[in-house]
Amino acid sequence: MIRPAEPGSPAPLGRVVATELKPATPHQFHFWTANETTIGIGAIVKVEGPGVGDQGPGRVVYGVVTDGFAYSDLATPLHDVVAAEGDPARAAESPSVRQEIRLWTAAVLRQQPEEPLQPVPLGAVYVASDADVAQALRMDAYVTGAQPSGIPVGLYTAAGLEAPVYLDADFLLGPEAAHLNISGVSGLATKTSAVEFLLASIFEHFPAHKGRVAALCFNVKGPDLCFLDRPGALDDADRRRYERLGITPQPFERVRYYAPFKADGVNLNTLRTHPDLVGDVEPLVWGLSEVLDFAEVLLNRDDIDAKADAFIDFLSDRVLNKEFDDGFGGSHRVQTFADLNGLFRAIFDGLELSGRSDMWRTHHIATIRKVRNRLSNISTRCKGLVTDDGPSSDLPWGRFEDRTVYVVDVANVDPLGQDLVFARAVSKLREHLERRDLGVEAVVVFVDELNKYAPGDGPETYVRKMLLDISERGRYLGLVLFAAEQFRSQVHRRVVGNAGTTLFGRMDADELATPGYHVLSPAVKIKLATLPIGELMVRHPHFTQPIFVRFPRPAVLRGRDGVERFPPAADLPFEEAVVRQLARLDRRIRPNQVKDLIAERRPDDVRRALAAVRRTRPDDALAYFRRMLGARVAPATAPAREAVPPLNPISEEPY
Amino acid sequence: MKLAHLADLHLGFRQYDRQTPRGGNQREADVAEAFRRAVDDLLVQRPDLIVVSGDVFHSVRPTNPAILFLFQQLHRLRAGLADAPIVVIAGNHDTPRSVETGTILKLYEALGVHVVVDQARRIAFPQLDCAVLAVPHQALMQAERPALRPERGAAHNILVLHGVLEDIIDPEWSVSDYGSARLTRPDLAAAQWDYVALGGYHVLHDVAANAWYAGSLEYVNPRAWVQVREEASREVPGKGYLLVEVPGARTSFRPVAAARKHLDLPPIHGAGLTARQLDEQIAQRVAGSKPAIDDQVVRLIVYDVAAGTARDLDHPAIRQYKARALNFHLDVRRPEPQRVVGGGAPGRRHPLPDTLREFLGRRPLDADLDRDEFVRLGVAYLDRVGGEAAERAAGSG
Ligand SMILES: Nc1ncnc2c1ncn2[C@@H]1O[C@H](COP(=O)(O)OP(=O)(O)O)[C@@H](O)[C@H]1O
Ligand SMILES: [Mg+2]
Repeated sequence: MIRPAEPGSPAPLGRVVATELKPATPHQFHFWTANETTIGIGAIVKVEGPGVGDQGPGRVVYGVVTDGFAYSDLATPLHDVVAAEGDPARAAESPSVRQEIRLWTAAVLRQQPEEPLQPVPLGAVYVASDADVAQALRMDAYVTGAQPSGIPVGLYTAAGLEAPVYLDADFLLGPEAAHLNISGVSGLATKTSAVEFLLASIFEHFPAHKGRVAALCFNVKGPDLCFLDRPGALDDADRRRYERLGITPQPFERVRYYAPFKADGVNLNTLRTHPDLVGDVEPLVWGLSEVLDFAEVLLNRDDIDAKADAFIDFLSDRVLNKEFDDGFGGSHRVQTFADLNGLFRAIFDGLELSGRSDMWRTHHIATIRKVRNRLSNISTRCKGLVTDDGPSSDLPWGRFEDRTVYVVDVANVDPLGQDLVFARAVSKLREHLERRDLGVEAVVVFVDELNKYAPGDGPETYVRKMLLDISERGRYLGLVLFAAEQFRSQVHRRVVGNAGTTLFGRMDADELATPGYHVLSPAVKIKLATLPIGELMVRHPHFTQPIFVRFPRPAVLRGRDGVERFPPAADLPFEEAVVRQLARLDRRIRPNQVKDLIAERRPDDVRRALAAVRRTRPDDALAYFRRMLGARVAPATAPAREAVPPLNPISEEPY
Repeated sequence: MKLAHLADLHLGFRQYDRQTPRGGNQREADVAEAFRRAVDDLLVQRPDLIVVSGDVFHSVRPTNPAILFLFQQLHRLRAGLADAPIVVIAGNHDTPRSVETGTILKLYEALGVHVVVDQARRIAFPQLDCAVLAVPHQALMQAERPALRPERGAAHNILVLHGVLEDIIDPEWSVSDYGSARLTRPDLAAAQWDYVALGGYHVLHDVAANAWYAGSLEYVNPRAWVQVREEASREVPGKGYLLVEVPGARTSFRPVAAARKHLDLPPIHGAGLTARQLDEQIAQRVAGSKPAIDDQVVRLIVYDVAAGTARDLDHPAIRQYKARALNFHLDVRRPEPQRVVGGGAPGRRHPLPDTLREFLGRRPLDADLDRDEFVRLGVAYLDRVGGEAAERAAGSG
């Protein structure tokens, strides 16, 4: 993968200089080059110190260019003005060509030998080769060897040279370090694209000895992740890059889509509704018990409330699915939102009638009201996600498959519902990974718009706590967070801080002026603020300095192009939507058969029967659907009453 | 409209060997008596509609007295409440297992009773502006069940059915019947009905504000004690039927006094006690019973009694108690065995004797066989075989 160093010794491109004012140190040096040079900010260079004879080759230092200067031997700008007689047009006619210099500052990436650590020698400077790049970035430790764990992230490109840059899987996906954060301005930073590309790279290069890996991606914006299984347009340059990186340019082979229904309970709430594609979108539907498990999420959108949490726990431990006595003479078995509402009503009425107090079983009525409001809120605002009494339909917990992307489309879901989906999905992942029965050893969770879910300021919320928890402990479990946001400074510090690997696309200048970026030189900041599309700056534990890479366009259909090629279908009327869903499961089904069956049935019953068919996947879907609906029983009027004939009394008492 | 909801009459149920003066089984007569008292009360309450939610008879081939008795009582109702329709469905006990068997229930159609045995029927009563969907056991056992939903056309909709709701099944299958159809709450959709009249669970139980099991009128299950316990723990007012105001489903319970009581005397812990001491405690328990044990159905559990001690108990005294009570069950239990006989894997939830007990407890029997005795014998045989096997194993080991 890494090209060997070019044979023969290439000509040096510059020389290290050191003065009292600009000395070379163990971590930084300066060098000059010819005015015409191929290098620039971000270039990796190699310094070879003078040989030390018998003691082997001399010291070699690798560095990355962080700043550049140009100046001439003019004493002051005034001299130039005078020479040109104040006319810029005549400056070129100036009789003597001034001596001009290109001076560069480089940060040391690596010294060889590492000990003793000394100032950079005043040696010749060369453009780094593939092998040099590998050395400079310490990739030799994990890209070669018995169990290589390199994950290509892009091509280092400078001075006409392209060298693949690898991340270390142990530091990207755990256990040494984990998580990835990418930031940069929308539409230019290629954040979503970079994650898509990197997932493909991981799926192809995740080392065999580390087992199986899958990704769970939350689609939070429009059609962003809706076409990951469809090929996108690539140009020759991209194809060449793929080849150079050792990645097959193809869309994901295994993608599973999940989306909640719309409020009607039959049309899916996603942009992947084109008839050719909607077939593989599974509905995501949760019932009361699934919601109640994570009801803290709903309460804690504003702030953590221990009292409300305690009441929620009480509901799920003592009330849900149990025979429960409300203390006012009523008994309840709560299985649905409607049942729960009945209980709440009984409590409020009971308290009011008895006029006793504001407390019900150690819970204050205000707490109960708050919980009730939030719960009824979710069942109305997220109608298609939360079903009142229907069966739930969930992600395949325990049956996750290797190299598979699970896309959960919550782009059109109410923020409250997004939080819920998010909290429940991630907690479930965690639970199964802890028990080692998820089906894969590692999962990448991709969260776009991280600033919404883990903001730097604002109240402590359940979702933020959860993200913080993954970022701190996920690496031991194989639960890896890939997150993207426009402005890193707006995200909770510890969440971004725990990301072992950080990528930056084109950055906003104001953002770069915030304190988080002060370690970057002004020149690097300028480069970041003008970074071309498709280039990223990478920070990774093995790299002692940020490195710039170029990555190819992801080989999948962009969301925007996807909705053009596969325009979403208009919402179907209820009956048609049912027909469509059944026909998908069994091609023999004809619309009229279904319509006859569901005529005058209640939509809830139809939805429940449909869900049963989907779950069971019977050979004869229509017959099963009919069975689940049940046969209709037509009324027959009782025959007119006839008086009972006066019978002779039976002669004896039988007992 | 006032609706009367009865269930699980189990006419013809027999138990114990005490006879009536006329030579019939006393418990069978008790069960009939309970229904007679219910009919007495119905004639006073004058409901507009009467539904019986299954298991009218204890078996498909009920005893002749039971057949005659039901005829008499239904005739009383029809004559006394000429305008009140009566809807009766078959439950798992009185549903024939094959078509050739036929059903005696059809006999009562002669009285103008609406008898629903195999297919579900929706019977409209225009004078009440009411439709009753009557769903017998058989209809729920078919691959394609009827949709348990109201249809347009009547102002009031009543569902009558026989089956057990999955979430209130008791694990011992003693309050509900093993062979009953299973139901879920979405199956019922109680919210869509004015009232759901359920049968198949022998203790009064609400499933929703407007969906109830009326419970049986007597203890008509071999394991009555579990019901006694459940009635006590849920503070159920006893046996009876329900009167329901429709619409609104306001229910009121009409208790029906039983001919005799089931008395579960406070148990004795026998560990460390001699036979004499046990005799004394047993005598105390009997003496302290309120009401006295005479003609009642009585149980007394004595825990932790070694086989030798049990042999030395005062058996003449015990025989005397047995003579006084209708049935006196002195349930002497051995100390908990350490080893499970019968080769089940250790830690299994159902040791073989329990499994057998459960199986025999639900196996269809001829109406006049005493199931308790039948089960006891079966388990005793198993015990003996198990003991021999264990001895042999110990000998060869
Ligand atoms: N490697 C790449 N090379 C060239 N163009 C790219 C590359 N990756 C993404 N793009 C283009 O950049 C645009 C923005 O990408 P996107 O990933 O949506 O950015 P963001 O998520 O930061 O808003 C898209 O139109 C995409 O086609
Ligand atoms: Mg994006």
